[in-house]
Amino acid sequence: MEANELQEVVLAFASGAKVREKTDRPSLTVPAASLPDLLAKLKADERLSFDMLLDHTAVDWLERGVLELFYQLFSTRHGHTLTVSAEVPREEPVAPSVSGVHLIAEWQEREVYDMFGVLYEGHPDLRRLLLDDSWVGHPLRKDYRDDHMIERPK
Amino acid sequence: MGLKIIDDFPGVAMKVPGGSVMLGVMDAVINWARANSLWPLSFGTSCCAIEMLMATGAPHQDMARFGAEVARPSPRQADLLVVAGTIVKRMAPTLRTLYEQMAEPRYVMATGACAISGGPFIYNNYSVVRGADEIIPVDVYVPGCPPRPEAFFYALLTLQRMIRSGDSLKSRHVHKRPVMSALPAGITVADIQEELRDLLERDSAVDVEKEAAAGPWAGKGYC
Amino acid sequence: MTVQAYTLDDLVKRLDPQATEGASQQYFLNLGPQHPAAHGVLRVMLFLDGETVVRAIPVLGYIHRGIEKMGESLSTRQFIHLTDRLDYLSALMNNWAVARTVEKAAGIEVSPRAEWIRTIMAELQRLQSHLLWLGVLGMDLGAFTPFLWGFRDREELTYIFEETIGARLTMNYVLPGGVMSDIHPEFAARVKKYVAYIRPKIAEYEALLSGNVILEERLRNIGRLSAEDAVSIGATGPVLRASGVALDLRKASPYGAYDKLEFQVPVGTVGDSWDRYWVRFEEMRQSIAMIEQLLGGIPEGPHMSVKPAVKVKLPEGVHYGQLETARGILGVFIAAAGGSDVPYRIHLRSPTFNNLWSVTRLAPGWRIADLVAILTTLDLVIPDIER
Repeated sequence: MEANELQEVVLAFASGAKVREKTDRPSLTVPAASLPDLLAKLKADERLSFDMLLDHTAVDWLERGVLELFYQLFSTRHGHTLTVSAEVPREEPVAPSVSGVHLIAEWQEREVYDMFGVLYEGHPDLRRLLLDDSWVGHPLRKDYRDDHMIERPK
Repeated sequence: MGLKIIDDFPGVAMKVPGGSVMLGVMDAVINWARANSLWPLSFGTSCCAIEMLMATGAPHQDMARFGAEVARPSPRQADLLVVAGTIVKRMAPTLRTLYEQMAEPRYVMATGACAISGGPFIYNNYSVVRGADEIIPVDVYVPGCPPRPEAFFYALLTLQRMIRSGDSLKSRHVHKRPVMSALPAGITVADIQEELRDLLERDSAVDVEKEAAAGPWAGKGYC
Repeated sequence: MTVQAYTLDDLVKRLDPQATEGASQQYFLNLGPQHPAAHGVLRVMLFLDGETVVRAIPVLGYIHRGIEKMGESLSTRQFIHLTDRLDYLSALMNNWAVARTVEKAAGIEVSPRAEWIRTIMAELQRLQSHLLWLGVLGMDLGAFTPFLWGFRDREELTYIFEETIGARLTMNYVLPGGVMSDIHPEFAARVKKYVAYIRPKIAEYEALLSGNVILEERLRNIGRLSAEDAVSIGATGPVLRASGVALDLRKASPYGAYDKLEFQVPVGTVGDSWDRYWVRFEEMRQSIAMIEQLLGGIPEGPHMSVKPAVKVKLPEGVHYGQLETARGILGVFIAAAGGSDVPYRIHLRSPTFNNLWSVTRLAPGWRIADLVAILTTLDLVIPDIER
């Protein structure tokens, strides 16, 4: 399916979805609350069949005060890709878990929780993935600093 | 007192429990044996492990030429801890535990930029420990990212020389200061191999007769 | 007075009233982080019943080096040298993945010669990586010969790389716009000689391993990963293909010079350890075939289209690029604020991250020795998982 056509089809699926500008592949921005439903529908639909969640990560837009969650979807049947993004506030980052739809989301969400502090509702096992449980803070947030870090000299 | 040999050579000959007499030249023999049968504990965390522990043990390089091919995964059976790779904060307690479990005398070799200083992961980094020597004492540093297998052998020879000269039965807790074992610049692989072979032959043999003839007991009728 | 003999289970139950039947056989065992079969610093917490795995819980973070945080203060060209240290057995392909993403974002053209060099280097490295895997597989399953053979043949490739690139392992060779240096004058002749050398050796490996009853017993039917699970886990590379899904980006969306090459994608049937072993084995043959085809026509031209001093500025937006490394799909996610060669955020989707997760599905019901076979056929590189 062509990129434009794909975007049209997906837009019809998702209520409240907008096309995300400035990306190099078909991309949508959706409300965070609709994520699990949308991903399940995208997976089940015959024409789309987005059965693989390649990647899930977040970006900390410090100035806007939001964390943007990115989901890279891939269809092993049709070979097309789709980026779904959703924004959650930095201060109260809560998003629904999609681990019921894609198994690997369980680990990807744990990594995003570890690095950004996003709390996933309905996650079966929300623990830190890479850092010690006693770690304070979430290092990939832009305002993260600790005593160990040294700035690169100019 | 009473034994003439002990009075003759204070510090060289000494009485050991049970009444026997041990000569200082034993140090040389024991150190020679220790230096040439190092059993490494392979502590490979990342890229350096491939070069330092696997490529060196394999054909083409073959660590067995230096008597150090018996790589053990258990600290109880090893006396050389090869830290090959980055140490992160979460790994640090494990490294300390492994070091403490090793029997003495024990030696530590920090191979690669990460184990020396944190390497490329120094700035803007929240998790990498800046060098294995923040956690355990290090005897030999091997620079490189990762070092060549030849550099590892060069370091092994450096350590062997250190063991032969510094550590002994009398002062087994005395370590010499750590050394940086960098390969001399501007030479080819063939040169290194040739030099290593020379060093191996020259430095790894103890001529007991010559040692005895050079000692303070020479000409006193003991040998 | 009656004497009542009781069992170890009873004792456990008396000490812990919540304990179930057979509780005396149940315990936790730590595999790693310092363990000879853990491929570096992987730690798996095993809940065992006797010697049978009930649950396998991977515990990560023993080599998490915070590379993504560092990437936020490095230009992409500087960042590439850190990617060598992720999956150090696919260093060139990691470089290439970042370079491709940057090229696509900044609109940089790459000369056919540079693409050709990248492709042949990538295939040589895939072969090298699989040779190392073969050696480690043998060692994990109790045979030492494959280790010696694999490293003997791998080392020759290291010399070929060193001649052109100047490094043995962490190469930092592929940059946005091309490759760091042109190939050595002797390169093509050396590779030709090596191909002639390795071809009969592969047959030798096959005679040593594939026909070996012990190896077959250790791998056949052990750790079956269904196609559905493999897709849901996001497994890629040989692990996914062994489960019967023929997804290979070299075929599905060709990059470099792959569209000009003829090759097959080996696909397994049931997804057990044996299939994963077989798929990698066949991939070695395919890589050799590709290298031979590539040697046929070396395009002329420059090897680099961007001057080293030029800052490669990233346009504002989100960029994503991916390619097939020896272990699966490596994705590079770059969010750029615009007007700078330093990305706002850079994230790597590493293939082994997803592949490792399949352990939680595969391990239950198998013995510890089988778990070692499963881990070794997943071909894990731990720094790649944890970045």
